[in-house]
Amino acid sequence: MAAEHSHLEFDPGFIDDRLRAAWYAALGALLLIGGYATWLRISGGMQSTNLTSTTPWGAWVAFYIYFVGLSAGAFLVSTLANVFGVAGLHRIDRDALFAAIVSMVVALLFVWTDLGRMDRMYHPFLWRQITSALAWEVHAYVAYILVLTTELYFSMRYDLARVAEHGSGLRARLSGLLTLGRRQTTDASRQTDRTWLKRAGIVGIPLAIFMVHGGTGVLFAVSKARPYWNSGLFPVIFIVSAVLSGTALVILLYVLRTRLFDGDAVDPDLLDRLAKLLATFVVVDVALTAIEALVSIVSFHPHVVETWHVIAFGEMSWSFWWFMVGLGWVFPLVMLSKRSWRRTPWLMAVAGLSVVLGIIAVRFNIVVPPQIRPVMEGLPHGSYFPSAVEWATSVGMIAVGLLLYTIGAELLPLTPLEEGDH
Amino acid sequence: MSGVSGERLPGVPDVGATELDAMVDGEAADPRAELSKTDHDTDLGIAMAEDAKRVSRGELSAEEYWRKYDAAAEAEFGDDYRQTPNPAIDSPDQTIESETAESLGCSVGSMDSITCESAASAASDDGDTQENGARWGMVIDLQKCVGCDSCSVACKAENRTPPGVSYNVVMEEEHGEFPDVTRTNVPRPCMQCENPPCVQVCPVSATYKMDNGVVNIDYDRCIGCRYCMIACPYGARYFDFGENYDDEVDGAGAVTSPEYGVDRGPREDGASPVGNVRKCSFCTHRLERGEEPACVETCVGDARNMGDLDDPDSDVSEMADSSRAFQLKESEGTDPNVYYLK
Repeated sequence: MAAEHSHLEFDPGFIDDRLRAAWYAALGALLLIGGYATWLRISGGMQSTNLTSTTPWGAWVAFYIYFVGLSAGAFLVSTLANVFGVAGLHRIDRDALFAAIVSMVVALLFVWTDLGRMDRMYHPFLWRQITSALAWEVHAYVAYILVLTTELYFSMRYDLARVAEHGSGLRARLSGLLTLGRRQTTDASRQTDRTWLKRAGIVGIPLAIFMVHGGTGVLFAVSKARPYWNSGLFPVIFIVSAVLSGTALVILLYVLRTRLFDGDAVDPDLLDRLAKLLATFVVVDVALTAIEALVSIVSFHPHVVETWHVIAFGEMSWSFWWFMVGLGWVFPLVMLSKRSWRRTPWLMAVAGLSVVLGIIAVRFNIVVPPQIRPVMEGLPHGSYFPSAVEWATSVGMIAVGLLLYTIGAELLPLTPLEEGDH
Repeated sequence: MSGVSGERLPGVPDVGATELDAMVDGEAADPRAELSKTDHDTDLGIAMAEDAKRVSRGELSAEEYWRKYDAAAEAEFGDDYRQTPNPAIDSPDQTIESETAESLGCSVGSMDSITCESAASAASDDGDTQENGARWGMVIDLQKCVGCDSCSVACKAENRTPPGVSYNVVMEEEHGEFPDVTRTNVPRPCMQCENPPCVQVCPVSATYKMDNGVVNIDYDRCIGCRYCMIACPYGARYFDFGENYDDEVDGAGAVTSPEYGVDRGPREDGASPVGNVRKCSFCTHRLERGEEPACVETCVGDARNMGDLDDPDSDVSEMADSSRAFQLKESEGTDPNVYYLK
């Protein structure tokens, strides 16, 4: 940790004020665009989308599962530090947790926007259907956000208490509030925090794997009417690509925050460790996707074969080849192949960004292609590309996530206040 | 309607009101000849009819009318007159003063009481529909279907579905090459599955199976997540995007169909079923009043049949048991209540 930052008067925000102004201005512009589009969405109803009864799920659902995946992935990376005690990862632990919470909030914004009746978003808590994966998911998401918040609290409380005690101004007052009254800075209180952090993490792991992200995969996989999704491997691929995108996000955030906020040097060993993890996940993701594709194509299931045909050669095949295969798999694997590249911060940030973008295409290619071919011969074929309103609302919701993350990063001690394990 | 008089509209014959009245008179049956076919007094009938016209012209009050004929009608029709509720004195829409109404010999009861009675007796005539649990089923004979699509049209007219929503469609398949071509037309309503995948996935239980076999949608509960549309193997569910036929038809949304027995009044932006998922209900509102679904009633080839699948002697049960019968996508295990005959 940089010597010039006293942990008592720490300043976790941007070190360059002009950069801060430019960043907030950019976010403000995106929020304005998104806000206007959201107004069009609400006043015009679902007519503002390019969805049809043949293709009832589109961009919002794709982004929803994308952000659920990003969240589950970032969370699982955080457990490497706080549950499995992998050395050297503690630095990114809180960052990963906070990013997981923000991603989940964004994911819920997307599902909400996607509802035909946005005013009835509370209905799943009043009425349930025990056989519906979606009914279970809604509850799992709430439980998951609670677990993540609990974890972040126990991970950060010790530093919050120290900032409240020694710091001044808004940040100290906020930190004092967020300690929820537990202001001890003794080693014993710290030990209690760690114990509870680990316990919450242990609850969170099955929740994230089986319920939140596995469950979101199951939500699709149980649709027997869509054979492309209807496979046991499908939820597993869902989790793997979630972990992949989450790891990539954590790398990206680590490099950017260390450089732009802390003005610090990136730890090449930590970067190398994360990069190797990322490479492993890319390989597993490619392998599982290939197995899934081979099993279904070689068994000549007409619906699945036709869906793969749509993905690889249809009018949207560019998203498969350029984004999913290119940005998601090939480009990052090349970037991650050399040891010296893995230790170069900006290259790894680019590789992380590339995966984060590539997985968006993975999610679109999960959601849309099986809804192009009609469920029965003789019904109309679908054709879908998101409308301007769908794109602009998506940009707005992503901007909400970026804003929440930036505010949190500026105010909260997301990086431990001293070197080494906390 | 808005045409200026004297200005002829294209395709409308140039006929005046007097000619039209003459045509109506020419078509009208001779009252005396008609009434003489019954066992009752012809003169009394003619006199009552003439005076009834005077009442409608305002030359005679309804009270005077009933006072004048009460005794004669009671003498002529006896118990039939005394026990039948009279629309003129039907509370709450009573058209004559209570004083007069009290003095009359006929029963002062509500018209509703007799409609309820006849509906109840019709239901029990229909054979154990409600109480003993009929399971509605449809059998479509593909040999009789000519592919005219009038079922789809009747369905849209009956259910007043908006653009993009069509509870019934006819899927057309062509086989072979010219000149050896055959065409199969497969009408596709909602299958009202015994094991409906749409019901299984609905997170708020807004769609569920009713006792009569029909899969219901509660438009007041549905959140519009469209998961059921993903799950339906028949593509039978449609999302109501809120579009209207207002450009094509004036007042297209003024009347809506009382789907699932709920009258929602005029179609309004943002009010259910806009933003909900919709589908065929076997015309539940028609079944409830003893009518067949619109598609069944309208079918020109009599290809569609409706009945109780739980009654082994019903026509539909016998057809569904025939060796020609099959269901769509039987391998899905959904067990549709719509059967087809090859």
